[in-house]
Amino acid sequence: MLANMFKNGLTRRRVLRGAAALAGTAAATSLVPRAARAADKTVKIGFLAPLTGEVAAWGKPGLDGCLIWAEWVNAAGGVNIAGEAHMVEFRSPMTTNTMRARRAGATKLIKEDGVKMIMMLGGDPWPGVQQLAEREGMLCTTLLPSDLSPETATLLAPCEVHPIYNVTGIQWLAENKPELKTAVMCAQEDALGLPSVATYLAAFEAAGIEMLDDTLFFDPATTDFAPIVTRLMSSNPQIICLDTCYSDYVHPICEQLFQQGYKGQIISCTADFYDQIVAKTSKEFMEGFLFQFPDFDDPGLNADFINFQKPNEFYAEYSKRHPNQWGAVSWEYASVMDLWKAAAEKAGSVEPGDVLAAMKEGGKGLHAFGEADWWGKELFGIDNALVGNWPVVVIEDGKAVIKDFKSIPEWYDKHGDLLIKHMDALGPMYYQRA
Amino acid sequence: MVDLFAQTILNATYAASYMALVAVGLVLIFGVMGVINFAHGELYMLGAYAVVAVYGDWNMPFLVAVAAGLVFVGLVGILMEWALFRPLRDNPLGGLVASIGFLLVLQASAALIFGVRMENIPPSTQEIIQFSDRVSLPLQRLYVIVATIGLLFALWLFLKKTRFGWALRASAQDPEAAALQGISINQTARIAMFIGAALAGVAGALTAPLVRTYPYMGHSVIVTAFIIIIVGGVGSLEGAVVAAVVYAFVHTFVTTFVDGVMADIVGLTLMLLVLIVKPTGLFGTRERA
Repeated sequence: MLANMFKNGLTRRRVLRGAAALAGTAAATSLVPRAARAADKTVKIGFLAPLTGEVAAWGKPGLDGCLIWAEWVNAAGGVNIAGEAHMVEFRSPMTTNTMRARRAGATKLIKEDGVKMIMMLGGDPWPGVQQLAEREGMLCTTLLPSDLSPETATLLAPCEVHPIYNVTGIQWLAENKPELKTAVMCAQEDALGLPSVATYLAAFEAAGIEMLDDTLFFDPATTDFAPIVTRLMSSNPQIICLDTCYSDYVHPICEQLFQQGYKGQIISCTADFYDQIVAKTSKEFMEGFLFQFPDFDDPGLNADFINFQKPNEFYAEYSKRHPNQWGAVSWEYASVMDLWKAAAEKAGSVEPGDVLAAMKEGGKGLHAFGEADWWGKELFGIDNALVGNWPVVVIEDGKAVIKDFKSIPEWYDKHGDLLIKHMDALGPMYYQRA
Repeated sequence: MVDLFAQTILNATYAASYMALVAVGLVLIFGVMGVINFAHGELYMLGAYAVVAVYGDWNMPFLVAVAAGLVFVGLVGILMEWALFRPLRDNPLGGLVASIGFLLVLQASAALIFGVRMENIPPSTQEIIQFSDRVSLPLQRLYVIVATIGLLFALWLFLKKTRFGWALRASAQDPEAAALQGISINQTARIAMFIGAALAGVAGALTAPLVRTYPYMGHSVIVTAFIIIIVGGVGSLEGAVVAAVVYAFVHTFVTTFVDGVMADIVGLTLMLLVLIVKPTGLFGTRERA
């Protein structure tokens, strides 16, 4: 390469001319951003949720939502830290959903990118980041409060209190369809599925709904769900509960339920891309399907107590940019950013410790679905989950509709002992973890 | 209880069908070429994505998409034979390593082209054959069962009644002797690879609307196929079919009457038992020294 350059007539004059041009360009480009940065400081936030692989549906849509959030916030002047505007920038290293990869990703975010907070999906890969977060005092967030433990004071579950909010769906069902008295459940056997099983079992027991069979666990590698559905239907349950399954499982299980002629109530934690299930089954079959994640074009989200900024506009913008991609997490990481922005502005600092202290001040916070408490000591050993109301969503005429908002702490005050009993039995309590 | 048994038998018959197609293809490739094709699960995945493209995106009839999957994946098989396995024919581990590399290429290509999310493939039919209130068989599943019987019968006829079939069997038994009789080793390898890959492709295409179609879907299929060919006897086509039926019935019944996690354990235990009691598999024969 170098030889060719000389062969083509590289002279001392041309080298000097090129060097001068390069220096000029470098000077110009370094000046422009410096001038911009003087007005707009930048704060970096790490996004370490899955962007590829089987769990990407609970990561990638969240990043897409965050990018809209950042665009809107930056266009409105950024985050005001002690009178200075800070633009928000997301860093999202492409890593697989394993402990080792997440640790590497977190190391890069903290050491190289200098992020001030890391948002994660959580679950099995969290232990890979845990020690680093503790050592560095990095503010981290998870969607799965079952990751919380007293050892990591800087890990918060500020948006999704999975799986505890599942109790609200069963509570609503018991109040509105009291004739349903029997249920069965299938679940994936992992850090996502097990706490959810315990929660549903507690909720069913509290609602006086009898479980006709033991929970049917399936291997995450399952491709054919016909035998599982056959077994679920064999005891003639009035309710079939799909626990918290990846959308890759919810879809084929629903198709099988349809094909094997099930006509009862279906409950699931999520129903991402439910329009596809409706298309593959029928509106009649999916009528009454109960889950926990609303579409944000729902008029119910315009209530005064909702703290998410412009939910209907957010949904419209998201759907315009990513047609048919709206899912459970599309809004969640953005709502964490709302909380972070308010805390950073209150603290007058973007440093993780300051933001954390401001966020938890007074033991209350503004959750997307209303004012909520920092809660969780009994279940997680630390009050780091922001818990308040959660919506109950039902499919009606092929479209998800919010039927009610139910209070999780109110349910827990009455039935918390049941939840702890089932969590203890299945092993996901914080003191039972290895 | 009778209904539960009947429905489980139908479920198992469907599972045995597509597993047999995949396993027979894998055995054919190993028998003729001596290559353990680790990319066989990804050939199954390619067949499914052929349906995504031809049937899902281009709105052509489902059967056309299945035929396209069969031909396309068969041609990919020929490409693999020519580019990967033929140059490494004298290296016992070369083909295996090359196929592992190729499976990663295929997975990454599918992820790049189609994305990592599960594909939404509309069912080709929503017709369901109802035997009783609790026993039913969706027509889509019946397609898989019927196609498997037809394809395996056609393969049997091809191997037993045609000159190409005789050449394949001769090459599988003794490649050097076959070559001395004027049989082209390259030609038989090409045919074996086309048929083996096409069988995986057609299995993927037929089941695409029924399973989770995503770039990494081949992983669980290849694991199952290996268990089946070890149980049936490596190199035995009849063994692959019988083992597919046995494995599918055991796995489906354990899933239904115990749970899915236990079914995987029982499936692996079945393989270990066969290895202990009859290391050559149910239909395998010991090679002479």
